[in-house]
Amino acid sequence: MSTSTNILDIKNIEVMYDNVILALHDVSLKVPKGKVVALLGANGAGKSTTLKAVSTMLASERGKVTKGSIDYDGTSIDKQNPSQMVGLGMVQVLEGRRCFGHLTVEENIISGAYSRKLSKGDINQELEKIYTYFIRLKERRKSQAAFTSGGEQQMIAVARAMMAKPKMLLLDEPTMGLAPQLVAEIFNIVKELNQKEGVSILLAEQNTNVALKNSDYGYIIETGRVMLDGTAKSLLSNDQVKELYLGISKKGRKNFRDVLKEESLTKKKIN
Amino acid sequence: MVDELLFFMEVLVGGLLAGTMYSLVALGFVLIFKASATFNFSQGAMVFFSVLAFCGFMQDFNIPFVLAFILAAFLMVVVGLCTERFVLRPLMNASEDTVLMATIGLGYVLEGLAQAAWGVEVRRLDLGIGDFPVPWIADNLKLFISALDITAGLVAAIMIIGLFLLFKYTKIGLGLRAVADDAGAASSIGIPLKHIMLLVWSAAGVVALVAGCMWGARAGVQFALVDLALKALPVLIIGGFSSIPGAIIGGLIIGAVEKVLEVYIGPFFGGAIEGWAPYVLAIFFLLYRPEGLFGEKIIRRV
Repeated sequence: MSTSTNILDIKNIEVMYDNVILALHDVSLKVPKGKVVALLGANGAGKSTTLKAVSTMLASERGKVTKGSIDYDGTSIDKQNPSQMVGLGMVQVLEGRRCFGHLTVEENIISGAYSRKLSKGDINQELEKIYTYFIRLKERRKSQAAFTSGGEQQMIAVARAMMAKPKMLLLDEPTMGLAPQLVAEIFNIVKELNQKEGVSILLAEQNTNVALKNSDYGYIIETGRVMLDGTAKSLLSNDQVKELYLGISKKGRKNFRDVLKEESLTKKKIN
Repeated sequence: MVDELLFFMEVLVGGLLAGTMYSLVALGFVLIFKASATFNFSQGAMVFFSVLAFCGFMQDFNIPFVLAFILAAFLMVVVGLCTERFVLRPLMNASEDTVLMATIGLGYVLEGLAQAAWGVEVRRLDLGIGDFPVPWIADNLKLFISALDITAGLVAAIMIIGLFLLFKYTKIGLGLRAVADDAGAASSIGIPLKHIMLLVWSAAGVVALVAGCMWGARAGVQFALVDLALKALPVLIIGGFSSIPGAIIGGLIIGAVEKVLEVYIGPFFGGAIEGWAPYVLAIFFLLYRPEGLFGEKIIRRV
């Protein structure tokens, strides 16, 4: 991968919260233009922190990138703030959907176009285009977002982000708490957006299996470090990944704690 | 009998209209509470500051009425701008309590600045509207209702409609409602928080000016306006902190209840229950309906 084809290039970043809590030790990853990259790991591994470092939302949680560099579309994001990042075409869909509960579904989606200078007619045109991907939302356009289902709220959050016309989407656990059928539906939409709209995607997920099946490349992080990376295919067939993240093992069932013990011989733990 | 009924009507209508003056002050609080979930303790000082500046422009510099009003409104926008830049932005990631304390400090700064610039004596503000009964209404309906009360009612109605249209149908209004719901999510999709803050603080400043004009015309432009603004507290508790219609209805309720109680029950307590009756009502609301009549209920999906 040469640098010019990467829309996002993270090099050895370290992130601290409140100047004392070290959340990321050393994370490097690349997202090639037009690809879907999965960032996998357990709770607290540093997935959300990585995404927030990229979208520059860290500052609002008293976090800071203390080492390393993040380049987006060839330039450093050092001095940017979240609304500038949105202007540059990088939009994050936060963990837990975070819809505007008191606004209607349609108002939620329209709010995504806030950073763009569009006429009313343009907005309606964009809206219709978005509805072709999220057919379900069109039926519910007038309802208050807080009263829609979890799956619908996730769709609202993605649709809202798409209204900003992003070149790159950061999705933080889009399938959290959703039924398998909805998980599939969400991923179908994500794939479609990637292919038809050419949006590059960095996806943080705990649902390793589904995420890898829908991505081109994957990174596995644990306790703030990238432990493993490779093409989605190679990771899916990797024994270690199978054992730890997919729950499939050749040697029969193995206790998760045993695996961790073996691992801890080679890895230091934080916290 | 008819006389008694007429008298009751007079008390009630007078109370309702006086209530709109509370509503006007409460409106300023609601605007800021919606955007930053903070009770703005400096709202009273903003009322005092703005109307004193307005009087100062007119009386010290002989600037005509309309121009002085525009200048004062502009000054409040500048205050909003400075507040956003020097108080709110540095406290962007601070807790709500910190911001709350900052608004108390801001209040003292505004009070001091106003008195340093325009002096401490009580000023008379003449809007050209008398605080005496309108003859036409007195003759035809036999009700004695102050022209100033009617004006305050009309002004409040116009401001509500204006704000409602602003929030419901403009882009920045949508942005404000989004920020009110979830500031983090709003900034993640590129809604710049500082624009929204600037908008609400400027709007709250202009609302403060209007409220100050009404109160100043009635009671004189004086330091007591700062404390008077705290009357808005029971209004907000009853109406709901985040609701603009709530601020209006709450003001009407407080105005009507306090006048009616004062006239009919007051004598049993030796009078002057106007001062505390609204707070008793507020306590009942806190006990039985803490979100107020129109406050946004916390919506939870089950």
